[in-house]
Amino acid sequence: MTTYWGVDCGSTEIKVVACDDAGRVLHRHRRRTLFPLIEHVRGALAGDGDFENPLVDGGARVAEGHFVTATGYGRGHLDFAQDKLTEIRAHYLGVRHQLGAELPPGQDYAIIDIGGQDSKVITVKTGDVDQFIINRKCAAGTGAFIEELAHRLRIELASLPELERRHDAELTLNSYCTVFAAQEVIKVLMEGQRVENLIHALYRSVVKRVLEMTVVTAPSVVFSGGVLTHHEPLRRMFGEKLPGKRFLLAPEAQFCGAIGAALHGLERARKQAAPPVHPSPSQEKHP
Amino acid sequence: MTARANVKEVMKEYLLDLDQAAQDGRRKVAWCTSVGPAEILRAAGYEVFFPENHGALLGATRMSMDTIPVANAAGYSPDICSYLTSDVGAWMKGITPLTQAYGIKSVPKPDLLVYNTNQCKDVMHWFEFYARELKVPIYGVHSPNHLPEVTAAHEDAVVAQLKGLIALTEQLTGKRFDEEAFRQSLALSKQATDLWAEVLATARARPSPLSFFDATIYMGPIVVLRGTEVARDYYVAQLAELKAKIAAGEAAVPGETKRLYWDGMPVWGRLRSLSDLFKRNHTAVVASTYCNSWIFSDFDAADPLRTMARAYLKIFINRNDAYKERYIADTVREFGIDGVVFLEAKTCPNNSNSQYNLPARLRAKGVRSVVVNGDLCDLRCFSDEQAATVLEAFLETL
Repeated sequence: MTTYWGVDCGSTEIKVVACDDAGRVLHRHRRRTLFPLIEHVRGALAGDGDFENPLVDGGARVAEGHFVTATGYGRGHLDFAQDKLTEIRAHYLGVRHQLGAELPPGQDYAIIDIGGQDSKVITVKTGDVDQFIINRKCAAGTGAFIEELAHRLRIELASLPELERRHDAELTLNSYCTVFAAQEVIKVLMEGQRVENLIHALYRSVVKRVLEMTVVTAPSVVFSGGVLTHHEPLRRMFGEKLPGKRFLLAPEAQFCGAIGAALHGLERARKQAAPPVHPSPSQEKHP
Repeated sequence: MTARANVKEVMKEYLLDLDQAAQDGRRKVAWCTSVGPAEILRAAGYEVFFPENHGALLGATRMSMDTIPVANAAGYSPDICSYLTSDVGAWMKGITPLTQAYGIKSVPKPDLLVYNTNQCKDVMHWFEFYARELKVPIYGVHSPNHLPEVTAAHEDAVVAQLKGLIALTEQLTGKRFDEEAFRQSLALSKQATDLWAEVLATARARPSPLSFFDATIYMGPIVVLRGTEVARDYYVAQLAELKAKIAAGEAAVPGETKRLYWDGMPVWGRLRSLSDLFKRNHTAVVASTYCNSWIFSDFDAADPLRTMARAYLKIFINRNDAYKERYIADTVREFGIDGVVFLEAKTCPNNSNSQYNLPARLRAKGVRSVVVNGDLCDLRCFSDEQAATVLEAFLETL
């Protein structure tokens, strides 16, 4: 039996899962992305000692019986990883695995993932990724934008959703640029505006930036990734902006990429184990 | 000798000769935009230097990252053409990549500056800087832009301006313009450009013997040596070599499984890493807008002025979107291409063709594409990580 590991090496957090060869998640672990990256990824794979470590030889290689697949922005830096895929496909595989019963192959849907340094809208058609779009280089519409403004406001990230619910006025943050948006925030605060209203405007701005990237035509929308898990007002606002659609939050939204990576490894193993559909030329000649 | 070694030698000899010409009071140097009337300048006795080639060198060597900020600080915006800011910044800083490559101290000082706005208007601002700085004559061919079709009226407008250029060269050199030399120059250009088209067409083979990244190097002579025997002879050799590769089944990308089209500018400072990324993914970039832009099939030495005007008006960048849509869709079909990469260059909107809904219209025709944000020379506008993710994710969908 092989354990299939997925490492989602994001800009903010490293997420790790281990799956068995039926695709069941056996173990999950996450920690802040710190540097040197490879050391912290090794630490994430070792976890808290409550599960097997797939790495041996001081973390230089993967042990027999384990298969490690990497995704996320840091995937190219993990020398020991046996396979790699982009977070676009990884999130799709993770969502499909978790919500397969609700999203049968014939049903088109969109996945919205807001990550630490990018946001993505993935369109799934006829059971596979059809198109995707990633935000441009600036941080607007990403977790980094929310973090930066929370930092400017000296407010804990975790308390933003609760504060947002107490807003009583509609404000608008116009800027694409985090620095300019921070200037807008300071200006509005100097004018005496309540911070709750600013946080509401901040969330609205993120939703607006994401929806500016593409037209979501699919009837269902799946939320994936940590930012959408922890910031309920964003999910509510997407619902308001996209009326008539069905919204689903992936049960382990934060681990979607890592689960997808692990399943990619499992799929690969299954393909390699499967007998060829047609006999190869050599088999034809030498039955 | 390999083709790449050949092209290096051709470019080296060209630049060393230009350097000598600039220091020889008897020889004259003209600067010309890359799709400007070089054949007229050669016939008038000028050696021709192309600042865009210098801009590409600054980008490829990443010296541009030191020179762009100099131009920015002097008042040239970070949002304008980074060929311009790379090159003007290099001039202001007194450096050039030609020094390390060839021992040349400075770009060759011009006696005449000639631009054509068939590419964009930034070339005008660029050459005007040098006209002020060096106090040399400047002549602009102001082309009708973004044309659905090239008509006789459009050609007339350009022919009149080319005649004006000829008159100026006669005045500056004190010699009557040599019509026969012009015909010969254009005839040589025609031979070279037809060969270049054949070179690019070898990428129709599966596997392709040629990738976009090779072609950005091989294209040097068709840009800077049009109108010469050197360019024609180089492409004769280059074509033979590529045909031999096809015969031997030699692939530019071993194990080629996917084939792409590249639209827009190259990212000069990332040619190697992008080439490696595609190779890792067994993907050959087999055709491009950029390299195809130096195919001038309309040249005809029997009617040199008019056919030159026509050819330089018909270039992709100077056409409307309906033309671009047809052109890309046709090329995708002809080369058996699986998808298109649009480079959206921050400082080159004129050659960023994804910005007016073209990807969506191509998709309706069954052409899949992806947009990569970046730039030709300004790596401040390019994220390696994001580009890799976007490109690899696109390849996963094909």
